[in-house]
Amino acid sequence: MRALLTALLIFAAAPAGAANLAIVINSGDASLSVLDGTTGAELRRVPVLREPHHFALSPDGKELLVGDAGGNEMLFLDPQTGEIRRRMPVADPYQLGFSPNGKWLVVTGLARNQVDIYDAATMQLAKRFPAKSMPSHIAFSPDSSMAYATLQGTNALVAYDLNHLQQAWMAQVGNTPAGVLWHNGQLLVADMGTDYVAIVDPVDGRVVNHIVTGRGAHQIFLSPDGKLLYVNNRVDGTTTALDARTLSPVRTYRVPGGPDCIEFAPDGKLWITQRFAQKVAILDPASGALRSVPVGRSPHGIYLTDAARSHG
Amino acid sequence: MIDPFSLAAGWLQEHVLIPILYATGGMEWEEISFGWALFACYGAAQVAVTFAICLPLERWRPVEHWPDSKAVWVDVLYTILSRVGILPLVTFVLFYQIQVTLNGWLSDHGWVPPTLERVFPALLGHYLITFFLYAIILDFAEYWRHRLSHTFGWWWGLHSLHHAQRQMTFWSDDRNHILDDIIGFVWFMTVALLIGIPPLQFPLLVLLLRLLESLSHANARLSFGRIGERLLISPRFHRAHHGILAAGQRSCNYGAILPWWDMLFGTADFGRDYARTGDPSAEEALATGSYLQQQVAGVRRMARLAGWTATPARVRARRSPGR
Repeated sequence: MRALLTALLIFAAAPAGAANLAIVINSGDASLSVLDGTTGAELRRVPVLREPHHFALSPDGKELLVGDAGGNEMLFLDPQTGEIRRRMPVADPYQLGFSPNGKWLVVTGLARNQVDIYDAATMQLAKRFPAKSMPSHIAFSPDSSMAYATLQGTNALVAYDLNHLQQAWMAQVGNTPAGVLWHNGQLLVADMGTDYVAIVDPVDGRVVNHIVTGRGAHQIFLSPDGKLLYVNNRVDGTTTALDARTLSPVRTYRVPGGPDCIEFAPDGKLWITQRFAQKVAILDPASGALRSVPVGRSPHGIYLTDAARSHG
Repeated sequence: MIDPFSLAAGWLQEHVLIPILYATGGMEWEEISFGWALFACYGAAQVAVTFAICLPLERWRPVEHWPDSKAVWVDVLYTILSRVGILPLVTFVLFYQIQVTLNGWLSDHGWVPPTLERVFPALLGHYLITFFLYAIILDFAEYWRHRLSHTFGWWWGLHSLHHAQRQMTFWSDDRNHILDDIIGFVWFMTVALLIGIPPLQFPLLVLLLRLLESLSHANARLSFGRIGERLLISPRFHRAHHGILAAGQRSCNYGAILPWWDMLFGTADFGRDYARTGDPSAEEALATGSYLQQQVAGVRRMARLAGWTATPARVRARRSPGR
């Protein structure tokens, strides 16, 4: 539902005749590739300072925030064109996400072992949590009362109470947890050091079950229609589709080159960054057909201007 | 078009590094494994390029002929240890972590970390220009590090391992005491941090500088001509620095890549022609010992010259006057 609302918001905010673009964050090149959203052809490359990774769309849909972790800088882009409007010093913004109510911006600092909570309206730092080690991905409870971050270096998931700005709990959830997603009252955690997604109780972080997907389970994305979950398996080079209701595997697609982030195009295709191959794969989930287009080094986050989306 | 190094690094990452990290429980390092892979590829290519350029030069116009080249083999070992993998991996990981931590701390305190692109915004996106600007600044820093290593007795004790080689070839550039290498690395990294070199450029700059430094050590009768010698350091120019008369604390031609700093600070000597190399005051182990023997002898000499141990009469007698 949130994804659909976000999509509607984007369509409403889009100026008439806005180009259909894909913005790819090249973490190893210090640049953003702006692609034609239909053909995948690279239209231009926008230089940034050092090492960008992920993005978050502002709650009003008017700004696309890109974190340059190596450059300690937050970039504010026009979400329709990819043009950089302004920059702001921010310490190690690796992964970022707005709480569903739009009040907070949560930023993980993978290299600096910290999770920062910013007031989204003012961009003032409200609270910094030391988080050993390697905090990477973020999820929220739908009521915005809790934020969750995976700690890759210590195999843990940490929960923060956003109402009181304090840590609620920390729990071991497997081996090198990366992607995390709130789904139907549970947390799904992709354990990159294993071949499964852990199902975690959001109350206390207890692992209640596993779903085997593939080696190097990295990130989880809910399809715009809410029917499927896609899990990228970094080591196996596959993308596994799970039934969103039963969590049972439906189909596995071969996506070589270290599949990472996914965006959903309006034609139903999945745009998947291939970190090791320096490409973006465009996968037709109906037929399994796959084609790739070249981008910069180590492409990470991807954003389509006219699509419903999950995470950056 | 994807450059071949990136392609090779991607392949290495996907098919070698990531499976190893997965099998050994080290997947938390996968994010920076691309940097590792890239610099391993650069390092291997650099050794290959150095070999392809310098070996024919040394065969074509050698300065010296030796009955055997046993003493060169230990320099080959130094090169492989230093360039293919280990040095780039360590430098990248350390540099990345320190830079992000330091700059993040500075950002927290409202100060934007310095980078050339911030001082000169027009440079943003012009990677080649900034790369060469960074290289010039680092070369300047290298001049002073090298000059100081000849100035302080204890440091010269370590650095003299580099100068003890009487069969100097392009392999000799990496022939350094490990403590001298560590000091050099910290020096280099500090300067790189101060001027805000991107982590992905840092090992690349190390490799570029080292490639040219290898050439300057070649056992080749090669000069760049009257003007060229003043633009780029040639084997002839650098051989003067390694000449037996220049060994020690009163040397010349300290520059690594550019002779400009020697010219600016009055240490350039363009007049010496293809001197024999080596350090007559060094104990034999520094010249022809094994890797370990050289390392031990380097520490021994450092301690002696620093005054930490009594100087044996035998060794004292062999030390050159003025040092």
